[in-house]
Amino acid sequence: MPLPKWLIVARNEYRIRANQMGIIRPFFPYLAIGFLAVYVWFVAPSLVSFFVDDLLAFFLSHVALAIIPIIMFTIFFYLIILPITYTLQGMQAEQVEIFLAAPIKPSHVLLGEFLGVLPFYAVAIGALAGTFTAVLNPLGLDMLQIAITVSIFVVTSLSALWIGTVAAALIRTRFAKSARGRDIGKALSLVLALPMIAVMYAMMGGGLMDALADPEASGMARLVLSFLPSSWGAEVIASFASSPGNIVAVGFEVAMRFGGLLAFFGAVLFLGTKAASRAYSLEPTSFTASRVKPDGAFYKTIKALGGGRSFGALLVSITKDYSRRLENLSRIIYIVALIAMLEFFFGRGFEDSEGATMMSLFFFPFLAVLVVGQIALGGKENLFIYKKAPHGVGKLVKARLLQSLLVAVPIAAMITALSMLSVPQITITSILVYTGFMMQFVAANTTLALGLSLLNPEFSKNTRTQMMGLMINAQVAMFTSIGIFIGSQIILDLSYVNTLLLQAVVIWSMGILFLYLGRRRIGRIE
Amino acid sequence: MKAIIRTEKLSKHYGKGGEIRAVDELELEVYEGETFGLLGPNGAGKTTTVRLLNCIIKPTQGTASVNGYDILKEEMQVKRVTGLLAESPGLYEKLSAREFLEFMGALYDVQAEVLPERINDLLKLFNLESRRDHLLEGYSRGMKQKILIASALIHDPPILFFDEPTSMLDPRAAVMVKDLIKKLADSAGKTIFICSHILPIVEELCDRIGIINQGRLVAIGTVDEIIAQTKTKTLEEAFIALTGGVEEKELLAWREQKSAPA
Repeated sequence: MPLPKWLIVARNEYRIRANQMGIIRPFFPYLAIGFLAVYVWFVAPSLVSFFVDDLLAFFLSHVALAIIPIIMFTIFFYLIILPITYTLQGMQAEQVEIFLAAPIKPSHVLLGEFLGVLPFYAVAIGALAGTFTAVLNPLGLDMLQIAITVSIFVVTSLSALWIGTVAAALIRTRFAKSARGRDIGKALSLVLALPMIAVMYAMMGGGLMDALADPEASGMARLVLSFLPSSWGAEVIASFASSPGNIVAVGFEVAMRFGGLLAFFGAVLFLGTKAASRAYSLEPTSFTASRVKPDGAFYKTIKALGGGRSFGALLVSITKDYSRRLENLSRIIYIVALIAMLEFFFGRGFEDSEGATMMSLFFFPFLAVLVVGQIALGGKENLFIYKKAPHGVGKLVKARLLQSLLVAVPIAAMITALSMLSVPQITITSILVYTGFMMQFVAANTTLALGLSLLNPEFSKNTRTQMMGLMINAQVAMFTSIGIFIGSQIILDLSYVNTLLLQAVVIWSMGILFLYLGRRRIGRIE
Repeated sequence: MKAIIRTEKLSKHYGKGGEIRAVDELELEVYEGETFGLLGPNGAGKTTTVRLLNCIIKPTQGTASVNGYDILKEEMQVKRVTGLLAESPGLYEKLSAREFLEFMGALYDVQAEVLPERINDLLKLFNLESRRDHLLEGYSRGMKQKILIASALIHDPPILFFDEPTSMLDPRAAVMVKDLIKKLADSAGKTIFICSHILPIVEELCDRIGIINQGRLVAIGTVDEIIAQTKTKTLEEAFIALTGGVEEKELLAWREQKSAPA
C-alpha cells in the first residue's frame, strides 16, 4: 500500500530542514529528546530554585494576572510569525508548482509541511512547557494541574504554528508569483518581529510591569487580551496559581476555558485544511511590469557626487538597485525602529551628551552592517559582471562604499541629533560636535561592515541565508565596538571623549584593512 | 592570417590535487575576423575556456593571448577588447533595460556623449525600445537574453564571446541574432567566439569549429574537415563520434528491467 501523500510531504519537509544540520542529522531525534529530558528534569528546576521566593510573590500579585496572558500572547504571536517569516525569506514559487503538477490534494501538502517541521518546533515547545512547569511547581500544583498546564502550552503552540503555516501558504502563493510580491515578502519577514520586540522592551525597561501592578491597568490589559485564545490557557494557569492542588475549586472555569482552547484548535485545523485548497493557486491575476521614471534631482545629485562621469553613472545604477529592493528598506526600518525603541524604553531623560550617544555606540555598528547588506546579492554571476570589466572589482567596492555611506551617515546624524535634543540645556555646538563625531563613527563602521561583507560573501539568493551571514558580521562589528568601549573605560580608564577617539582609530584601521583584504578575496573568487 | 586568440597549454583544474580537469592543456588559435565555434557536451570545459579567455578566472597552468594581450599579465587590456555573453549571466533585475545598459556602459568606460545614442540603437535593434523603462524583473527570459547581448556589444569590442547566444530565444529572435552575428563578422570585422549545443547554428555561422571533450580539444577545422576526419556524413554524427553517445539499444533499457507496472 502506498504511503499517504501527507506523510511523503512531511518526510520531505523534515529532510530539507534536517539536512542543514550536516553530520548530526541522524542523531538529531536522540539529541533533542536527551536535551529536553535533561532540561525539564534538571536544568529548569535548578534555575527556578534560585528565584523561587520572587516567583511565588509574583504569581500571587496583580501583575501576574496580566503578565501571564501577555507572555502567552507573545509566544502565540511568535509561533504564528515563525513559519511566515521562514516562508517569506525563502519564497520560491517553483516548489509550489511541483505540488500543483503532482496528484496530491492541497490539504495534504499543507498538513505534510506542518508535520514535517513539527519535530523542530516541538523542541522549543517542550523547553517552554518545561520551564513553565518548573516555575509553577513550587506553588504546589497537583499532577492533573501540571498535565493541563503542559497541554495548554502544547495546544496553544500547535494552534499558533498551524495558523502560521496556513498563513504562510496563502502568502507564498499570493506573493511568490511576481517579483514585486517576492520583494514585499522578503521585506515583511524582518519587520514582522518588531511588535514582539516592542512588547519585550516594554516589559524589560519600559515600566510595563509597574504599570500592570495597578489593578485598573491590569484589568484593562486582561480584558483586551481575554478575546485572544492564547489568554484562555493563561487564565487557567493563573487560576491554578490561585488554587494550587485544588482543581475542583476552579473546575468550571478550567473546563470552559481549556475546552474552548481545544475547540479553537479543532476549528483552526478544520478551517486551515479547507483554506489549503484556496491557498495553492498560482494563476497570475495580472501581468504588471514596473516602469521607471527618468532620473530626477536625487539621482542627478548622486551622479554628481560620484564625479559625474562613468563612476557617477555606476554609483547611480548601484544606488537604484539598492533602493528598489524593499528588503534593503525594511532592514533600515528595522534597525531604526530598534534604536528608537531602545532610546524610548531604556534611555529616556538623558542627563548629558554621553548618555545620549552611548546607546548609538553599541547599535550603529549593527546599523552599518544592515545598511551595507550582502555584497553579491544577485549571486556569483553578478560578481562576474565586475570581474569581466576592467578594474571592475575596484569600482564595485568603491561604489558600494560610497552608496552605503550615503545611506548610513545621514541616518546616524538624524538619530544622534534627535537624541541630543532631549538633553537638558544642550548647546548647538555640542549637538554639532557629537553629531559630527557619530557620523564619522558610523562611516568607520560602514567601512568595516563592507570589509566583512567582502571577506565573507554570501552568494545564496535566499534571504534567510543572507541574514545569517549579516548577523555574523553584526556580531563582529558590535563586539569590536563594545570591546573597545569596555577596554578603554575599565582597563585603560580613559575619559569618554578619549574612548570615542580610540574607537574611531581602531575601527577605521580595521575597516581599511578588511576592505583591502576583502577586495583581494573578491578578486580571487572563481 | 593573424591569430587574435592563442592558447598555450591552457589548463584549469579543480578539486583536491586538481583531479577535475575542466580544461586540459588546450592549444587553440582563433584568427582575426573569423567566427569560431567551440562545441562540446555538457561539462566539457567550454564555459571554463570562455571564462579563462575573459580573465574572469585564472588558469592553473599555461596561458593565452587575446588581441596580443597576455591573459595573465595584461588583464585590463584583455577585458577592454572583449565582450561577453555568459551562459548564466548576472543581471540587475531592479534596473530597467536602459539603466542596465547605462550601467554596463559606465563599467566599460564608454564615453558619456556616445552612450545614450548607442543604447537607443541597440534597444531599437532588439525591438525593445517600447520597454526600455520597464524593470528587467518583468522581462521574459528571451528578452533578458537580448539585453545581455546588447550589453556585450555596448563598448563595441573587437572580440565577442557568445556562450549559447540563441538558447532562450524564439525562432524570430534567434534568426535576428544569427543575422547580427553574421553582420558583426562580415561588415564590422569582429572576431566571434561562439559556444553552443545547437549544431545547425554553429554550422551556419562558424568559419571553423573546435570540439572539446573532458577539457581537451579533440578536433579542429572547418565543418567539412571535421566530417572528413571522422568519416561521418553530418556534423551531428561527427560530434557523437568524437564525444561518445548513448547506444540506441540502451535508450529504453531502463523500462525493461521493471517488473511492476507503472
